[in-house]
Amino acid sequence: MTQAVQDAPVVVGRSVRPSVLDYIVGFAKRSPTATIGLVLIGFFALLAIFAPWLMPYDPVAVNVNEILQAPSAKHWFGTDNNGMDVLSRVIYGARYAFGIAVPAVFLGLTIGVPIGLYTGYRGGLIDEVVMRVMDALRVFPSIILSLAVVAAAGPSLFNVVVVIGVLDAALFVRIVRAEVLALRSSNFVESGVALGNPLWRILFIHLLPNAIQGAMAQSAVRGAWAVRISATLAFLGIGIQPPTPEWGAMIRVGAESIVNGQWWVGIFPGVALILMVLGLNMLGDGLQDLLDPRRKSGAR
Amino acid sequence: MALRIFLIRRLALFVPLLLGILLFTFFLVRIGGQDPVGLIAGPTATTAEIAMIRGQLGLDQPIPTQFWIYLGNVLEGDLGRSWISQKPVLRDVLDRFPITLELLLWGTLIGALVAVPVGLRAAFKHDRLFDIVSRSISLLGFSVPTYFLGLLMLFVFFYLLGWAPPGMGRISLMVTPPPTVTGSYLIDSLLIGNLEGARSALGQLVLPVLCVAIISAAPIAKHTRAIALEVMSSDYVRYADATGLEPSARIRIVLRNSRTPILTFVGTELTGLIGTAALIEYVFAWGGLGQYGLNAIIRGDFSAVQGYVLALALFSLIVFLVIDILVLLLDPRTAETS
Repeated sequence: MTQAVQDAPVVVGRSVRPSVLDYIVGFAKRSPTATIGLVLIGFFALLAIFAPWLMPYDPVAVNVNEILQAPSAKHWFGTDNNGMDVLSRVIYGARYAFGIAVPAVFLGLTIGVPIGLYTGYRGGLIDEVVMRVMDALRVFPSIILSLAVVAAAGPSLFNVVVVIGVLDAALFVRIVRAEVLALRSSNFVESGVALGNPLWRILFIHLLPNAIQGAMAQSAVRGAWAVRISATLAFLGIGIQPPTPEWGAMIRVGAESIVNGQWWVGIFPGVALILMVLGLNMLGDGLQDLLDPRRKSGAR
Repeated sequence: MALRIFLIRRLALFVPLLLGILLFTFFLVRIGGQDPVGLIAGPTATTAEIAMIRGQLGLDQPIPTQFWIYLGNVLEGDLGRSWISQKPVLRDVLDRFPITLELLLWGTLIGALVAVPVGLRAAFKHDRLFDIVSRSISLLGFSVPTYFLGLLMLFVFFYLLGWAPPGMGRISLMVTPPPTVTGSYLIDSLLIGNLEGARSALGQLVLPVLCVAIISAAPIAKHTRAIALEVMSSDYVRYADATGLEPSARIRIVLRNSRTPILTFVGTELTGLIGTAALIEYVFAWGGLGQYGLNAIIRGDFSAVQGYVLALALFSLIVFLVIDILVLLLDPRTAETS
């Protein structure tokens, strides 16, 4: 009896401190949606990182003897009209998805967040002008706008990233500005001003940490949008060109043969695209739920 | 009375907005390296020929002068000529607009008719099975690229099942298109009693319309649910609950208070779906304004791009205006505050 009591603290001490696994399980329980999203994104991240070791073939190696082969043990996802291995190309395509989405969203945050902080806090003429420009941009469907800009500026990876980033920035301005508007007359901001903090400290040290959450949750959704739009541009032949192993460009190539029954050329990259976008959307949705427990999910 | 003041105010806002849009698209097509002269003249043109075409198009003038001339022409109803179709852009846009509208309206209508009830039911069954399933489907709908959905549809319903006609245009090549009245082959065929033509046109319509409906349904369901949930967490619904009203009365209160925001959202969706419709048109060779615009953008047809974007902007503004008027009529509170 005494012996058991003496042993007990050791056991309790170990079980009380939550392990990393407990945190993961806790997160998964609180938001299954975000967790599934993270798993999907993690899967594609692994594909992107380890692509050179995972690809069974060179993704751009032309092989005239094996054109449009159906999926088989040799080519799991078949081959396209250049005889290139579709599986290798789908794996390599993950690199383009991340390579566009990550810098584009980062660019959007870097431009949008400071403008949102400033216009929300200061108001006045600049705020008015910025908001009217945002309103005017709403008149154009985003796909048409990005298409027109990329077509005019020239189809390069760089231009695609910049266009998506700038359009994202417009959205981040809106979100951050709305948060700042609600915060700017709160006590912590006023005492910050009273203590003589310069403007940049008020904006970036005091307001930023309190106003950034919505934008962070939204950035996953914007990442999904970036992957989609860049693939759309490639599909239309603007932006990244075939035979680059990018999913949208691969669907473009596959579109020619799909109505002849050679479905594997276009379907596999399409499914990869859907899963990646789905993962990012699920993560974004889940994060928004976690941030807004009052109104569970759905609301933007 | 309130409506008239509102209309005058809104129409006055159109002028600076349209001017801004004209300015924006004018510079947009000129910022980059695309030069239509080289494309028109072809590879064998001499320097003199290129200079002549440049002069004909007015592209040798300084850019502010070009804009001034363009503005004057637009006010006279001259949007320039498309070098792809070799026709006046205004003619092209007017010819093709009903074709796109047919696709867009049917698609959004069907999408909204399915999505709004689903979203409302999901809100009432919050966190129950129906909600979880409908939200998952909506998430999937958000993630499917428009053009890929179109290709998938063609593969399944044309190639595998053979139920649908090939995605090539708006009416079978075997059928003579009806004379243009509304621009919709389906309606025009019915008007002259051509049942064969109507059936062919309907068959061609099904898949593209289904695509637009699916793509539009996902965001509409999601936002309908969010709007209804927001209304349900409001003080007046809590008050209604507290007074012990029966469930049907509560549902009525929620519906009445959600209908204007839902209507506004469907309206904004409709304008955003022009981009979606353009991609669907591209996949199904629909030949409407969307496909015209995409081709113009891809091939650097300046006048056509400007005309297309102007048409889109005008369409969006008109839809916003109609929605605002409907909201005003449905909800008198907005009239008092505006």
